Amino acid sequence: MFRSAGSALPIRADRWKRIKRDKYLYLLLFPGLFIIFLFKYVPMYGIVIAFKEYNILLGVFDSPWVGFQQFERLFRTPDFMKIFRNTFVISLYKLIFGFPAPIILALLLNELKNGFFKRFTQSVLYLPHFLSWVIFTGIIVAFLNPVDGLVNYVLTSAGMKPINFMIIPDYFRTLLVSTHIYKEMGWGTIIYLAAMSGVNPDLYEAARVDGANKFKQMWHVTLPSIRSVILILMILDLGNILEAGFMQVFLLYNPLVYDVGDIIDTYVYRVGIQSANYSLATAAGVFKSVIALVLIYTANKIVRKSGNNGLW
Amino acid sequence: MLGISRGERIFGVINRSVMLLLTVAMIYPFWYLVMASLSDPKLTALGGLYLWPKGFSWDAYIAVLGDASFWSGFRVSVIVTIAGTVIGTFLTATTAYAISKKRLQGRMAVSFFILFTMLFNGGLVPNYLLLKELHMLDTLWALIVPGTISAFNVFVMRSFFVGLPEEVEEAAKIDGANDLTVFFRVVLPLSKAVLATIGLFMAVMYWNDFFSTILYITDKGKWQLQAVLRNLIDHAVQSSGNGPNGDQIQVSAFTVRSASILLATLPILLVYPFLQKHFVKGAMIGSIKG
Repeated sequence: MFRSAGSALPIRADRWKRIKRDKYLYLLLFPGLFIIFLFKYVPMYGIVIAFKEYNILLGVFDSPWVGFQQFERLFRTPDFMKIFRNTFVISLYKLIFGFPAPIILALLLNELKNGFFKRFTQSVLYLPHFLSWVIFTGIIVAFLNPVDGLVNYVLTSAGMKPINFMIIPDYFRTLLVSTHIYKEMGWGTIIYLAAMSGVNPDLYEAARVDGANKFKQMWHVTLPSIRSVILILMILDLGNILEAGFMQVFLLYNPLVYDVGDIIDTYVYRVGIQSANYSLATAAGVFKSVIALVLIYTANKIVRKSGNNGLW
Repeated sequence: MLGISRGERIFGVINRSVMLLLTVAMIYPFWYLVMASLSDPKLTALGGLYLWPKGFSWDAYIAVLGDASFWSGFRVSVIVTIAGTVIGTFLTATTAYAISKKRLQGRMAVSFFILFTMLFNGGLVPNYLLLKELHMLDTLWALIVPGTISAFNVFVMRSFFVGLPEEVEEAAKIDGANDLTVFFRVVLPLSKAVLATIGLFMAVMYWNDFFSTILYITDKGKWQLQAVLRNLIDHAVQSSGNGPNGDQIQVSAFTVRSASILLATLPILLVYPFLQKHFVKGAMIGSIKG
């Protein structure tokens, strides 16, 4: 019997024979796996320094074990509650305001007729996603700078005092959330739009015959049709609830707004890299990673229990 | 088919107006920077631009382009972006191709080994210590190598390879080609679209990378452009000095900041049409299989 080249050997054939047959595939696999091992798994092993007192002369391997001391130290620092709360709150605001934004935008884009206007609008809306936070920070400064920023020019022209938005704690989280939405809202629509394009047009026609206006069509036809996509993206976002946007915060914050803006990642950077307090900072990082892992696992489980497809 | 009702027509008009407003809101900041960078610094010392530059001067661009640190950052970013993208795309393709083959022993274990890096990572400090112990700090390798391979890109490419027709590869095999020859001579030429997609995404990531410099590089001669730019944004000051030809130029923090931001954005704008052609597909494959 002729077999195709892909399964030339019976399934229970000698494992080594199959490995030998596919030696060139392993050769292709090896360099990538090596890089992943070196730059992803070795740092995972490096986590052990959260349970050690890292000594630069002894290195990761030989530094003495101290159990959970670093974590106890971390939980006792007055900053810990603050950075944990800030991380959670900033991220929660981004979820509450930022999650619906691309869905609403996609609903509106979906109603535009295909043509130049739609393509142009989409191109413009996607662009900010590809610009770096450094560039974005530059733009924010150009608008909010107390000396020559546009917003403050308008304020002073109207007879008001200029406001240094960047250093006032009351404005900081709003600044983070709004610029985050501005940058990512357009890009976020892609997946929703693709899901919406799969909705059967007959459903809209039937709804219209029943007298449904545009909003009712969106509510009763479009949204239910893309429910599973919304759920999947929701799980991903919940798993990332401790990712408050490191680059963005790092580039925008300053000591005057630490009380509302300092997050776990920025704390890890300052304590770990700048002050070389490696073990303590790693403990903070581990604390975050473990919570994230538990969260994404739980969210996925809930979605699967409710009868939808999860991430895995 | 029902006719278009009055309500639907009103909705259409409002919808288009909202979209137009959003588009303007997205473009205006860049237009504002264009105006700022081209204005005469004496007329804009306190801002006050709305729709059109005040006065006209190229001095800000002359100042930025005459700045050695800007060119140094530009050079580093170009080297890092090209090297990282080429090496990264290649490694992603080879890894993805191997795990796209059902006959590969241990395929599930290897896939999980890669997938797990999306769920958990060592974090900032262990990464830093690793590069330190590899003596990669303050070298361009620190900016290039850690970013070359990501689980997400591997899975996007794997799902592309899974979709390739088996027959083409089998025909080559019957002609006596081994897996290496098939991969390089048959599969890669068929995969230009997905290679371009992943390559462009990687190039943008490398170009926009700022934090690797902050973490790993102290030597200012090896700073990426984004780090140099950040420095310019933070520290640009009012100055008048000499341009490269010795002629007097007039710039302000305001005009220099704007010009340098625009110059650093330019490469992204240049590749954007190509990016756009590919990214919807890339984002879709990734979201399904990610």
